[in-house]
Amino acid sequence: MTDRRRINGPPSGTRPAVFAASLNSASNIATGRPQRQRQPNELRKIFLKTGLIPSASGSSYLEYEPSASLAAARSSPKCLIPPSSALKLACTVHGPKPLPRSATFSPNLVLTTHVKYAPFAARKRKGHIRDASERDLGVHLETALRGVIVAERWPKSGLDITITILEAEDDRWWGDAPDSHDAPWGIMNVLAGCITAASAAISDARIDCLDLIAGGVAAIVADESEDVEAKPKLMLDTDPAEHRVILSACVVAYMPARDEITEIWLKGDSSKALLGTDYKRSGHEALLDGAVDAARGAHSVLAEAVRESAVRFAGLAPGGGVMQ
Amino acid sequence: MASTLPALAIPGQRLGPVASYSAGPGTHVQQSNVYASIAGPVVVDPAQPGSKAKATLSVSRSIRAPGTGNVVKPVTTSAGAKPAATSAPPKPKLKYNTLPTVDSVVLARVTRVQKRQATVSILVVLDDPASTQGVNPSQTASDNDNIEAILSSAANPENHSSSDELRFQALIRKEDVRAVEKDRVVMDEMFRVGDIVRGTVISLGDQSFYYLTTARNDLGVVMARSEAGNMMFPVSWKEMRDSATGQAELRKVARPF
Repeated sequence: MTDRRRINGPPSGTRPAVFAASLNSASNIATGRPQRQRQPNELRKIFLKTGLIPSASGSSYLEYEPSASLAAARSSPKCLIPPSSALKLACTVHGPKPLPRSATFSPNLVLTTHVKYAPFAARKRKGHIRDASERDLGVHLETALRGVIVAERWPKSGLDITITILEAEDDRWWGDAPDSHDAPWGIMNVLAGCITAASAAISDARIDCLDLIAGGVAAIVADESEDVEAKPKLMLDTDPAEHRVILSACVVAYMPARDEITEIWLKGDSSKALLGTDYKRSGHEALLDGAVDAARGAHSVLAEAVRESAVRFAGLAPGGGVMQ
Repeated sequence: MASTLPALAIPGQRLGPVASYSAGPGTHVQQSNVYASIAGPVVVDPAQPGSKAKATLSVSRSIRAPGTGNVVKPVTTSAGAKPAATSAPPKPKLKYNTLPTVDSVVLARVTRVQKRQATVSILVVLDDPASTQGVNPSQTASDNDNIEAILSSAANPENHSSSDELRFQALIRKEDVRAVEKDRVVMDEMFRVGDIVRGTVISLGDQSFYYLTTARNDLGVVMARSEAGNMMFPVSWKEMRDSATGQAELRKVARPF
């Protein structure tokens, strides 16, 4: 579908110039690839804040800590292209509001989710109209949230959840050929971030929920070394730019208080991945457990953000003047 | 079996066993425990002394009413009734649900008057019938809006179309306007577009409209402007008068106090 209403940028995206000086040695490229500095089970720090958009009934902003390689590249730039990117997204919740006139009667809350990348969010420019992957993310998010919202307490009303992704995770390191990985892995991290941010925004809007739902990602990655004997490893909260080969990745939406999962999305082949002997479970189960562990980590941040929102809402309203 | 309740709950937080509490608004029950389902201050409503009912746990949805500082302390209760708390100063009105339900009293603005019905859009859901006797909007805890701002802007004929899409729509049918002489009702003499009406919800209605009734003495038009655009004051149950020109207009008037 062509967008005739706006002045669009070039459809295929633009790339910053790569100067010969930065490419002249092969070692330079090898060192340009970001390396994971964290432990396999160490998550990136999350910044999460609610209530930033006053016109919405609930809102939140989420940001992942930029990787160490990005910080290093900023302090001593070797190349104009940043080595990796970190997720930044904003979520708004509008509602509960009346359903449109055309809608049929619903005794429950009707949930609608929109996920949209900002045109500048990814290395490849996104259009203004939602494409297939954005709609897909919206459906996954709706599945994740539908299980946690107590919908029957809000008859005849609708809830719109809109997520704008300001900076997306990379699907792979930019220096790799575009087809060197078979799947867009970055979308998994984006979904996990969407779930966590949406949960904070819903609770900021005071919509009844069973629990705070958090998203987590784990992946099985092949070892970086050339050693053939090396087994693939399980990593939590993977940044796809930091890994050469991701065999399989999994994102879950997890409710810690109830120990329930409302959404699983698994990509790649985890059955063939033989993990080292220190893993007792099969690749598939280890992957799921890893994602749940990552979600638990995100939940602690989420709980703190929601508590902050509740304190601001309930405690700091002296004289009722804060309502404006 | 004393348990300490948190002052502030977040969704999914366990509050107490069902054996000692019953679940109020903002909470849900899972595996014989009361869990919070929204974030906010925990409120314990103690049971009547002597009755067998359990104390009700709820999580408040509203900002505290002005001048009530000490509702939300960490409450330590023993299981069952706690007589000391009932002698506390008058409790602030805490509002739990912003949706209109059957029997809730609402303030609505008339958007359209037809021969058989009037269409209104609901501005505010008032919490409880007892508190609406003399309506004083500033005392009513609203959820996300400043009621005074809504009402003053709502009675102003200029900004009608502003946010009607976002408000719940309701119908007042001709036969629900008043309790007597229902067949003589002429809708044009009951409501005009722009009037603020107090009514109660009689049904959730169909996909798009709630159904309201004003068939009670304390229900009907509470604020109206005359054709000249001035505020009017009520003079009888069916007449209001322009404060500037003295011109009388017909309305189904709510008892002012």
